[in-house]
Amino acid sequence: MKIPLLVSTGILLVALLPCQECRALSKSPAPAPGALHQPDFFQQQQRQQQQQQTLPVLLRMGEEYFLRLGNLHKRPVGSFSSSSSSTSHLQPEASASNFFRAAVQQLQQLPERSLGNREDGEAEGEAVEREKRSEEPPISLDLTFHLLREVLEMARAEQLAQQAHSNRKLMEIIGK
Amino acid sequence: MPSAFQLQCHLVLIFLAASKGETRYLEVRDAGEDDPFLLLSEDLKRELSAGQIYRRSLRCIDMLSIEGQFTFTADQPQLHCATFFIGEPEELITIHYDFVNIDCHGGDFLKVFDGWILKGEKFPSSLDHPLTTSQRYVDFCESGNIQRTIRSSQNVAMIFFKIQVPGNGFTVTVKKSSNLFPCNVISQTPSGRFTMVIPHQHRNCSFSIIYPVVIKISDLILGHLNGLFLKKPSASCAGVGDFVELLGGAGLDPSKMFPLADLCHSFHGSAQMKIGCDNTVLRMVSSGKHINRVTFEYHQLDLQETETRKENSIEEFCFPSI
Repeated sequence: MKIPLLVSTGILLVALLPCQECRALSKSPAPAPGALHQPDFFQQQQRQQQQQQTLPVLLRMGEEYFLRLGNLHKRPVGSFSSSSSSTSHLQPEASASNFFRAAVQQLQQLPERSLGNREDGEAEGEAVEREKRSEEPPISLDLTFHLLREVLEMARAEQLAQQAHSNRKLMEIIGK
Repeated sequence: MPSAFQLQCHLVLIFLAASKGETRYLEVRDAGEDDPFLLLSEDLKRELSAGQIYRRSLRCIDMLSIEGQFTFTADQPQLHCATFFIGEPEELITIHYDFVNIDCHGGDFLKVFDGWILKGEKFPSSLDHPLTTSQRYVDFCESGNIQRTIRSSQNVAMIFFKIQVPGNGFTVTVKKSSNLFPCNVISQTPSGRFTMVIPHQHRNCSFSIIYPVVIKISDLILGHLNGLFLKKPSASCAGVGDFVELLGGAGLDPSKMFPLADLCHSFHGSAQMKIGCDNTVLRMVSSGKHINRVTFEYHQLDLQETETRKENSIEEFCFPSI
C-alpha cells in the first residue's frame, strides 16, 4: 500500500515541479538580436535560463535543415547576379545561401525579444543591458569547413586572376 | 703596437656582435622576388597604378584575399552575413569604412572581428590573443565615428553585418600591411612552407591549415645557443618552457583541439606526420627567454596516401574528412 502511494507521490512531484527543460518546449523566447550561432552554452553557466532553453532548439533545427538542404543546387534569387564566378563555384554558395535562408526562416518564427525593456532608472537599466550584452554569446557563423574551403578557393582564384591581370598590364606597359 | 691591438679588438668585437646578433633570423629577399614593380621606373609605376584599385560588390557570404574597395548593398533584408578576410602569413589586414548606411537603431549592425570565429570557435584562441573576446569585436554602431580604420592582429579578420532595409549597405577599403614576425596564421592554401620565429617574446603562436595534411618539420630550434652552454635534453616535454605541439581537430579553436605530438628538443632533420583532421595546427609555446624557430612544410593529404605508410611517419590521426 505504501509503495504505490510513494510511487504516485513521486510521479505527482515530477509532473508538478517547475522544470526548466520542459518549459523550453512550450515557450521559446527569441535569441539575442544578431546572434547567428550560439556556442556551447553548457560551458557558460552564467547564461540566462531563457537563452539556455532556446539554444538546443535552434541548434537542432539548424543542423537538421543543413542536412536536408546541403545538397540543393538551386540558385538563390538575386544574390549572385553580379558574380563573375563560374557556375560550379556558385553551387556551394547556393548551398550556403540556402542554409542561411532556412536558418533565417527558423529564427524569424521565434518571437522577437524586445530591446527596449528597461528597469526603473535609466542608468541602472543601461548597466544591466551592458552586462547582458557582455554575457551574450559572441556573434559567430555556422559554416562548415567544406564551405569555408570553397569560399577560400574562390578567393584564391580571384587573387590569381587579379595577379594575372596586373602581369598582363605590366607586360603591355613594358612592351610600349 | 696600439693600432694593431685596437684593430684586433675591433675585429673581436665585430665577430662577437655578429655571432650574437638577432638579424640572422631575418630573411632578406631580393628586390624583384616578390614585387617586380620595384624594378620599374617611377613613370611606369605611376602609369601602372593609375586606376589600379580593385573594386567589386560583396556577397552575403564572401571571402576576400586581395586589396581593394568592396561594396555591399542589400537588395533584400540580409540578416546573417559575413565576409572573411585572409592575407599571406606575413600580412595584416586593415579595414577602413568608406561609407556606411545602416540603421543601427533599427537593429542593423556592422562588426569587425579580429580573427575568425566559426561555430563559436575563435582563431586565434582566447589563450593566444592579446585582447578579450569582447574587445576583438569592433562595432560600427558603437564606435564608428571614432574608429573608422581597424587593423587585425594576424592575417585573418572578418566582418559580420545585418541590414534589414533594402538599399542600405556599406563600402569598405581593404589594405594589407606587413608583419615582421607573424604569430597566428591561417594558411590560404593546403600546401606550403613556413618558418615561424618567436624572438624573445612570451607568447604562443599557432599556424592553422584547414585541410587534412602531411606536415614535415625540417628544422626546430628551441632556445638560443649562448657560448658553450647547451640545454641537457630531458626525457619529456614536461617542465620544459618552450616547445612545439601539433594539434588536430574539427574546429577552428586550437585550445579545443587534440594534441597529437610534442616537440621540445631542437633538431635538424625531418619529422613527418599525416593528420587527417579538418584542421591541423602547429603551435609554438615560447617563454620569452629564448629565440625559437621552426621550419615546416605541408601538403594536402590524399586518400591514397593513407593507404601507403612511409618511413619517418609517426602515425595517422583523424580520419579523412571526405
